[in-house]
Amino acid sequence: MKGYRKYFRKKIIWFLITFAAALLVNFLLPRLMPGDPVSAIVGKQAQGVTSATAIQDMYNTYAKEFGTDQPVWKQFFTYVINLCKGDMGTSFGQYPRKVADIIGSAIWWTICLQFPAIIVGWLLGNILGALAAYIRKGFDKVLMPVSLFFSSIPAFGMAVILLVVFAVNLQIAPVSGGYGFDMIPNLSWKFIVSVIQHYQLPFWSIVLIAIGGQAIGMRSMSIYELNADYVKYARFLGIKDRKIVRYVFRNAMLPQVTGLALSIGTMVGGALVAEIIFSYPGLGTTIYDAVTTSDYPLISGSTLIITVMVLIAMFILDIVYGFIDPRVKAAQFD
Amino acid sequence: MKNTIRQVFHSPKFVVGFCIFAAILLTMLIYPLINPGDPLEMIGLGTFAEPGTYISLYDSVTTDTRTFKIADADDNRINSILDSEDRVNMVNWFTVNDIDVSELDISDTDTLLSMWEEYYDSSIKPAGMTKAMRNYYKRLDSNIAKVMNADILTVSEEDEDTGETEEITTIEKTDYVNVDDVANVVTLPLGTDNFGRDTLKELVSACGTSIKIGLIAGSVATLIGLLLGLLGGYIGGFVDDIVMFFTNVFTVIPSFVLLILISYSINQDQRGANTVALVIGLTSWVWTTRAVRSQVMSLRNRDHVNLSRLSGHSLMRIILTDILPYIASYVVMAFILQVSSGILAEAQLSLLGLGPRTTEVPTLGLMMNWAMLYNAHLNGSWWAYFPVILLIAFISFSLNLMNTGMDQVFNPTLRD
Amino acid sequence: MRKTRKLLSLLLALTVACSLAIVSASAETVELPRNETLYFAGQQWGTVVGWNPLSDDMNNAMAIVQSSGGSRTLMFETLYMYNMLDGSLTPLLADGDYVWNDDQTEVTVKIKAAAKWSDGTAITAEDVAYTFDTNVAIANNKGNTYSPYIDSVTAVDESTVLIKLKLNEDGTAVNPLMLPCYLCDCYVLQKAWIQTVEARCNNDATEIKKDTGDDVVWSGPYTKYYTDDQKVVLIRDDSYWGQDESMWGSLPVPKYIAHVIYADNAAGQTALKAGEVDVCQEFISNVQDLWEKDGLPISTYLDDAPYGVCVNMPTAYYNMEIPALQNVAVRKAIAMAVDYDAINQNAMTGQSPTFTDVPRSCMNPTDGEQSTFDHEAVADLQWAGNDIDGAIALLDEAGIVDTDGDGIRELNGENISLNACCPNGWTDWMAAMEIVAAAGQKIGIDITTEFPEWSVYQTVFTAASQTEYDIFMYATESSTPAQPWSRIRQLMSSEFIGMEGNWSGNFGHYSNADADEIIAKIPSTTDEAELKELYTEAVEIYLTEVPSFSLMYRPNVFYAVNESVWTNYPSQDDGRNIPPTDCTDGYGIAGLYGLELVNP
Repeated sequence: MKGYRKYFRKKIIWFLITFAAALLVNFLLPRLMPGDPVSAIVGKQAQGVTSATAIQDMYNTYAKEFGTDQPVWKQFFTYVINLCKGDMGTSFGQYPRKVADIIGSAIWWTICLQFPAIIVGWLLGNILGALAAYIRKGFDKVLMPVSLFFSSIPAFGMAVILLVVFAVNLQIAPVSGGYGFDMIPNLSWKFIVSVIQHYQLPFWSIVLIAIGGQAIGMRSMSIYELNADYVKYARFLGIKDRKIVRYVFRNAMLPQVTGLALSIGTMVGGALVAEIIFSYPGLGTTIYDAVTTSDYPLISGSTLIITVMVLIAMFILDIVYGFIDPRVKAAQFD
Repeated sequence: MKNTIRQVFHSPKFVVGFCIFAAILLTMLIYPLINPGDPLEMIGLGTFAEPGTYISLYDSVTTDTRTFKIADADDNRINSILDSEDRVNMVNWFTVNDIDVSELDISDTDTLLSMWEEYYDSSIKPAGMTKAMRNYYKRLDSNIAKVMNADILTVSEEDEDTGETEEITTIEKTDYVNVDDVANVVTLPLGTDNFGRDTLKELVSACGTSIKIGLIAGSVATLIGLLLGLLGGYIGGFVDDIVMFFTNVFTVIPSFVLLILISYSINQDQRGANTVALVIGLTSWVWTTRAVRSQVMSLRNRDHVNLSRLSGHSLMRIILTDILPYIASYVVMAFILQVSSGILAEAQLSLLGLGPRTTEVPTLGLMMNWAMLYNAHLNGSWWAYFPVILLIAFISFSLNLMNTGMDQVFNPTLRD
Repeated sequence: MRKTRKLLSLLLALTVACSLAIVSASAETVELPRNETLYFAGQQWGTVVGWNPLSDDMNNAMAIVQSSGGSRTLMFETLYMYNMLDGSLTPLLADGDYVWNDDQTEVTVKIKAAAKWSDGTAITAEDVAYTFDTNVAIANNKGNTYSPYIDSVTAVDESTVLIKLKLNEDGTAVNPLMLPCYLCDCYVLQKAWIQTVEARCNNDATEIKKDTGDDVVWSGPYTKYYTDDQKVVLIRDDSYWGQDESMWGSLPVPKYIAHVIYADNAAGQTALKAGEVDVCQEFISNVQDLWEKDGLPISTYLDDAPYGVCVNMPTAYYNMEIPALQNVAVRKAIAMAVDYDAINQNAMTGQSPTFTDVPRSCMNPTDGEQSTFDHEAVADLQWAGNDIDGAIALLDEAGIVDTDGDGIRELNGENISLNACCPNGWTDWMAAMEIVAAAGQKIGIDITTEFPEWSVYQTVFTAASQTEYDIFMYATESSTPAQPWSRIRQLMSSEFIGMEGNWSGNFGHYSNADADEIIAKIPSTTDEAELKELYTEAVEIYLTEVPSFSLMYRPNVFYAVNESVWTNYPSQDDGRNIPPTDCTDGYGIAGLYGLELVNP
């Protein structure tokens, strides 16, 4: 356990430093964008007003409230202090809603869409890839190019094609939204069914491409493992294939787990295209709208959430890796 | 080296991928020669003309005709405006207005049409009939009237001075014109887009621009990845920690969000195709860095490298002669993947409206963007977006296939 | 052990099933009944923030929209309703017409006896007065818009309102045209409720404008029912005062008004096609394909092109601070060369009258505005567009030629290079700018397009000094009681030059003393013949000097209806004179009272 302590300590230190750097970048980047968001809010309220002083007063009031009249470093400190209190600020574009509010309502949709999609895509893809590696021959020859083609289709392409084929032409799937257009959310069976129905197309547009990518990766790793010396030795010893396979795939799984952890972390931004095309509520559309309206607090808030999720995923991965990969364990005792 | 290349070209997967890619490149180069002109020229008025051959009506009216007596010409004419659903609707109209249809045979076109002419009145508003339905009957009526024209149509010209109309020619129902004789025939295999531009011409030109952007982005990303990976992997220690730190920061901030932010910061007037490519390259080097770094790290402890180190060779020399050749194959593969993802990234950026300017050059993403903005996917104008998606998929697919082929050559265990 | 585990899991499943059943049985309406709900699209973008009409940030398109072209009176009401078809004002909360005094400086308005608030109390003149005073005090948009023109609004008695206009030094009203605007623009809010808000916000203007107003008192036929980030629903208030004989005589037909929040135009239009939307306020390109090709029961206000009533002109403004554009020949040549038919076909897909049908002026195509000026006097100045030869001749005559052979003309030794800008994502405007750029290329002027994001665009073109855009687009005002005067002022008045945050007009900073004189004179002129002369002169100046040029005619609100559930929507030929304002704005709300079910 002593060795582990050193391993974890090092990981935690780098985790904290990366987090601090990411926080700074998250804060600065949106502010580098052109366009003054305060005038965006004032603009909305100034329609039809002909008095210049009135408009100037409006501007000054909002600038003071958002603190954009202060130097950048001061704004950063205010931001960090508020963050510790759990206040991510007030959105510019959706004034006066709070950022935490907006993200809170959007993030559940994204997590519920992406999380199962990625897990299912990962599982199915790995199973297919492993099978292809094991069976080879005809199955492999067909699966390989097909999954390669599917993973080459751009995400928006898959989304548009599914939308056109299933929703517009065949009309067996709904066209947009998170739940039925005539439903009011509550805990009834009908509502849940509606949510699941609306979930299908965005789900499959992500899964189909993910399967393609995972299958190829798993196939390569499995083939590599299947040709390793210990497998040949075990086979010569007469050990049944079924037993050997279990070990082989456990080894092949390791790099795939890395991939899974990383994609869970980036899933939030990754569903952007699917959300826009299917008009599905979620963090992706929130980020996109925030960027186009120069909504600093909302952009910073969203990217912060994503950053935190990726960091946590990577951290957990490093810890888990320490336990499941015997090589790491061995290295500790060097 | 020569042997490796020969092996690579023997790999079936590589060959297939290479052929697809080469075919696309060739089309890109040859098509503008057969069909010259500015791809951004708006030749059509109105949006989304369907693919097909368009014959100038003005010219065909004055072209020599031949007479053909085709048996079902009249039936074709009527069936083009009156399908079975329309007939049922006509009968419905009669029924709603209390007209006796008990003896009417729906397939008897002549009786149906004469009854229609006798009874139809566009000013009647039957109870329970929606406005849309009434308008439908009005349109049906005017279509029928067009078809029930006189047997001979007259084309006349207005005299500029006197204002009188003079007859130029007459058109009979049996007159046919050979399409090769007509002066102006426009073939649009993929119709026009929302601006009235020839989609196929635009597609070919856009393909070229997108591939160029992919190449620039891929080169930039691979170079940066190679450099950082080498430094981090070989030198190790503190330099490695710094490299990993930067990599982690860039991993943690989603690259796509980064891309959006940076593209958005650059004012549109400076956002040419090259700038966009540069930006994509600068944000997508993370994966290459990691891959190169892990390869270099495993190479670091090989015998020949230790030997060079003991011999006192300089850092530069070791990297150039001992490490680079071994990872060369890997770098080439990484480059191909970067090109593919660069093209994809540009398409996604342009789809969101953050790509290069629209008046200069078309790119695949920009074509998608306009098609989406004008709801091509909703009004059935498949030619505006589907070929673009297919092309992107095929370019990506061919590059990936080439990559897999090369992978098989360099990793014999993966061979079939 | 296994048996107990099985039993336990069975019990768990049962409990879950039962609770679901109980919850769903006790839940409120799970589903909105389709034949009692009217669905909208294209009005509400983003989540509703609140229900406080004193604030400008509530983002509540179904309940809170105040505009002099017709306010949305679903939940809150105005004194009069504006009808853009003939410019008339129909009394809503008011009783009868408004009465001017002899000097045209004061107006008296009566309140209907039947008018009541949702809590049962009567609507009084005090409510009107207090609303106006509060608007001015907290300096919201309505307060800032009307305080320069209206001096005071007072309650003479319970049901009589006296409005005094601000006066010039010579005793005439500063602008009497703004009064009818005020009457059909501003909501009347309950004094008692406003005082509650003021109390809980400590009379702080910013806090009042942030208050979400969940306890608001309304007078309209609908009130809030449900809102989240996917939709907003209003429910009919069956005790609505307007069912009294003195007003509508009945309740509006739909029980629920719902608006699903779509991410973009495409999603809204797909829903319209699928029958999930009844009234759609979105620009649908090639809208006629929906019924001609797809056979859907969708129709627009007019059966044929232009399908809708166009009331404003998206205009390309010239930046008068650019030396090249200070030359009138350049301005006119570019304007002449643009192919407006291409814009109409490509950008508006035929949903606009062409400039041959309605020759250009400062007025919109409605009969009311077209009759305000003498058409023959300006006929020579009007051009229909795509006149490449004419434009080239004009430039050659003015001595602006291409001396170095690069295909671009020079002025004072420098190539004329301009940018043409409009916000990104506004597709019909973007298409128009592309066509303007193409025209420039044809006559030897280098024009390139730029599409900055709206948040950037709105900061730049409203600045006190135009530095970045050379040719840029913005809309003109639509149909209001103060037109066409207000539009002429927007296009040419020099009072806006140098204003920071200028949303009012003349964005190119054009200055013409004659135009200013006309703009100053019109509001107080009552003689018809004199007015016609003034308007004609204004059009002459506009078409000769070309400080900006109209690109197309456009409706203010788009209107497409789906007859799969409801029918008898307002249309042009039904004789009811209801404007195509989506059954909600101004007099358009009369449409709600005449709807019928297709399958009752």
